[in-house]
Amino acid sequence: MSSRPIDHRTTFSRRRLLSGLGALTVALTSPIWRPSTVFGKDGSTKPLRRFIGVFSANGTIASEFFPKGTASDTPLAPAMLGRILAPLAAHTSQMLVLKGVDMVSTVSDQLGSTTTKPGGPHMKGPGAMLTGGSLLAGSFSGAGGPAGYADRISVDQLIANRLGKGTAFPSLEFGARVSGGEPLNTISYRGANQPNPPIDDPVQMYTRLFSNGNLSTSQLAQLVADRKSVLDFVQSDIASLQPRLNAEDSARLDAHLTGIRSIEQQLTSATSVCTPPAKPSKYDGNDQATFEPICKVQMDMMLLAHVCGMTNVSTFMFANADSWQYFPFAGVDEEHHGLSHSSDDDSASVEKLVKINVWHGQQVNYMLDKLAATTESDGSNMLDNTLLLWGNELGVGNTHDYKNIPWLLAGGSSYFKMGRSLQFQDLPHNNLLVSVCNAMGFDDVTTFGIPGVCTGPLPGLTA
Amino acid sequence: MATASTGGEATRNTGALRAVSDPWRCSWLLFALAGCTGTIGGLPAGDHGNTPGAGNDDAPSYGGSTGQSPVNPLGGAPSATAPAGMSNGGTGAGSIATSTAAFTCAAPSAPDPGPSPMSLLSRTQYVNTLQALFGTLPDLSDALGADTNYQTTFGLVQPDVDQVELGGFQAVAELVGAAAVNGAKLSTLVPCASGMDQRQCAQSFVQRFGALAYRTPVTDAADIARHMALYDTGAKVSHAHGIELVLRGMLESPRFLYRVEIGTTEKIGTSAVKLTPYELATRLAYVVWDSPPDDALVAAAAGGQLATKDQVASQLTRLLADARGKNFVNRFLEGLVQLSGVAGVVKDTTLYPQWSAAGSTLPASVTGQARAFFTDVLTKQGGKLDSLLTSDTVFVNSDLAPFYGTTASGSAFQPVTVSNGQASGMLTLPAFLALMAKPDQSWPIYRGKFVREALFCQDLPPPPPNIPKPPEVQAGVSTRERLAEHETNPSCSGCHSLMDPIGFGFEHYDAIGRYRTTDGNQPVDATGDVEGGTDVDGDFDGVVALAKKLASSEQVRQCVARQWFRFTTSRYEQGMDGCSMKSIVDAFETAGSSLNALPQALVASDAFLYRRPVDFKDSP
Repeated sequence: MSSRPIDHRTTFSRRRLLSGLGALTVALTSPIWRPSTVFGKDGSTKPLRRFIGVFSANGTIASEFFPKGTASDTPLAPAMLGRILAPLAAHTSQMLVLKGVDMVSTVSDQLGSTTTKPGGPHMKGPGAMLTGGSLLAGSFSGAGGPAGYADRISVDQLIANRLGKGTAFPSLEFGARVSGGEPLNTISYRGANQPNPPIDDPVQMYTRLFSNGNLSTSQLAQLVADRKSVLDFVQSDIASLQPRLNAEDSARLDAHLTGIRSIEQQLTSATSVCTPPAKPSKYDGNDQATFEPICKVQMDMMLLAHVCGMTNVSTFMFANADSWQYFPFAGVDEEHHGLSHSSDDDSASVEKLVKINVWHGQQVNYMLDKLAATTESDGSNMLDNTLLLWGNELGVGNTHDYKNIPWLLAGGSSYFKMGRSLQFQDLPHNNLLVSVCNAMGFDDVTTFGIPGVCTGPLPGLTA
Repeated sequence: MATASTGGEATRNTGALRAVSDPWRCSWLLFALAGCTGTIGGLPAGDHGNTPGAGNDDAPSYGGSTGQSPVNPLGGAPSATAPAGMSNGGTGAGSIATSTAAFTCAAPSAPDPGPSPMSLLSRTQYVNTLQALFGTLPDLSDALGADTNYQTTFGLVQPDVDQVELGGFQAVAELVGAAAVNGAKLSTLVPCASGMDQRQCAQSFVQRFGALAYRTPVTDAADIARHMALYDTGAKVSHAHGIELVLRGMLESPRFLYRVEIGTTEKIGTSAVKLTPYELATRLAYVVWDSPPDDALVAAAAGGQLATKDQVASQLTRLLADARGKNFVNRFLEGLVQLSGVAGVVKDTTLYPQWSAAGSTLPASVTGQARAFFTDVLTKQGGKLDSLLTSDTVFVNSDLAPFYGTTASGSAFQPVTVSNGQASGMLTLPAFLALMAKPDQSWPIYRGKFVREALFCQDLPPPPPNIPKPPEVQAGVSTRERLAEHETNPSCSGCHSLMDPIGFGFEHYDAIGRYRTTDGNQPVDATGDVEGGTDVDGDFDGVVALAKKLASSEQVRQCVARQWFRFTTSRYEQGMDGCSMKSIVDAFETAGSSLNALPQALVASDAFLYRRPVDFKDSP
């Protein structure tokens, strides 16, 4: 990859971008991030205006993820970090490490009692991570047992419904090597059976985000007018069709209509405004070594979408749950899921799993670094305005333990008291999702996910 | 969920289907098992975690999904919906449900076609439809991205359309619309002799092209007026632009993107109405061809030539003879073995460099080999289920000849007979065996699970959470030995006795489907056992013997018919499908279990010929 720097202050133009197809064929470059100013934002927006959800697969090695010690509330210092979080040492003052927060909704009924829920162990996690729910009945058998998609809205989408109105994309779902319709491959849900599968092809994502950047102002105006006319037609088409359909089919068109309105929002929103980065090249999706560069390009585009004011909410999946990815670039040319089932006594394999998780820590740190290096138009720091939540489908891979999920909250908050390591006694992660909503300024959210599971926000998080 | 308003949240469970009143429930033979309670140790890596290909974007699946409760009263019942007390929920213990009861048709004169939810065109159907409308298409790959449709997911009920898909449809409509009116193409698309009123020409175009795009005549005045309003908007720029906007509107209309069916008011009993002839033609074309109806099919619909079962059957005969129809049953078989997943299968680079090396043609070769085999079974071996499972005809090219100790040159396939007992039809296809394996080893659990799920139509309970740590993997120990704890540990054996002893029969085949005589420096032991729940229970030695059992099983034959129903109707068979299923099973049996009889059997069924009235109310 070229290292030609892009200084946002000089290369961001005021051109308006629309998603769609363009003809940009610049060679691949990866932006080098420098302190920059976000356009398209007015300075009066509240703090915590951004949310980023991050998923990685197959559990962690707890001894190297959670800081040492058993105290319930410990100030976080770089020296305390295990090897997996050590790459994030520069951000300890803006991190909360949460231990003892379990994904109990994967095995709970509506009243919170333990029950058998659809889906194999690896399938349940991604569906529950941001929803606090569980999988619907269905017959995807991809990971051990039949299940459908998740049964309710995820926290990123609730945030997007409230904070995404003024942006071109209420939310964007990124990933690397995850595409496909499987509950393993999705953490973001608009509602029951409404998955937002991530785009894992950088070229497709680029096309979605940055096309039409070469159009003149008058051409863009025509495009906006045309799209509006066509979407109006589609809406009237749906309206004339719906009364003739049965209730079930009509409901499907309601979902279609919601999507159409969201596309319309792209036309009217204050889409700021960056000169598009270079178009990524096509990667061989089956070449294991391309995983790292794909992640890099995808992260760059995700961060740029935030910087350019195109979205306030995004998620990123480092491969699907139950990932079979190899990590030769991290010194582990073995398959992740298989490794994750190694015995705790198999020190060689445990070491490899640590390396894989350290690599993920480095990627999350990359996101934090770039956010921290960006200044919003009101002079505030972008990381200070962002809440990043990193989770996993499991706590530990070899036992399929849904307890002790490796949770990391990072970013700014006048709401959370950051810079600490907290240990809880088996609290449901639904509580964490309530806390996330509260931190985003949604005081009205008192429960999230399965009501019988949730007992309110996590205690002791706030300043 | 949050107490606050959650905007676009939907709480409905699309198409949730009920099983309470199904007539077969009481005849289930239920096998309550000890289950894998997870309280005692011992499980080797990964078998609870995944299915082959799951890490590779193409996890296979046999059943309905998403929003459709996988109620499967005729076959197995996934534990999630099994009757209370039978799945022993809470302890993780498993049960397996299956049926050996014959299908019955209680009221042939009052058919119930069951639900037929509106479906978004699959990627293949979408592209084929665009091609039928426009001929050559611009490059759509960047706009559409990877195909996330699961061709191999039988019985799939779709989730609601997502933002990325909608964006893709918009982008494609713009690309295709712009290309279609470019330069001289406009006058071909919208003929307009000099002196003719351009708006008049546009209106003719709306009706003519709309009928093709929507697969039904466009005659409603208000409908035409709405299209013309869009034309008028664009025509402020130019006539061509007006046409372009109309095209874009059509290509983003749900009438184009979905297969919309409303039916007629012509009731047959209380639970069924006839489809309009255009709807029936559209069903035929998309199910058989994955493409829209051609001129002849539209003409048949317009001329009232799709009114009887015989007329439908004769149209089907024509469709099957067409190049697009010759692949119909092949696609079913490819889905059954999850063939599209092969391209994403990862194999260990050290152990299987021939698979995983950059530029390796082996994954493509095993896929081509499977296709060649299916075609051979269907065209040269009479389409018999027995041949599918037991044939000793194998197709080889230069990549695959070494698998059979022979030689061949080039990438084209030629048939050879493997009479040494190493080949048994579909079950020894390297494509299938590589899918049903780990990256670095064979995996009897996947192979046994496949036989249970795909061929016996039995659903195994999901594994419990919190699986104890696995035993050490040791060099020099065979896969079979490493799985021994599944037999000895009672907490495992309940579930695994259903899978492992069948899967052991495949132990002569390694992780890429090569025949082997040793594993872990020991002679391969391929003795196995079908333990319970089938009409062919008992011991066997090796795949050839297992295949003979399967080929003789009434349960397997019935299961193939069920899978066919799921593949073609995109839903599970349920209680109301007794008449449809009986007619399909009977026709299959009458034809000596020839797979080639399945298409005609399908289009003669109530589920295909009718749909429920719009105001149909499912009895609670």
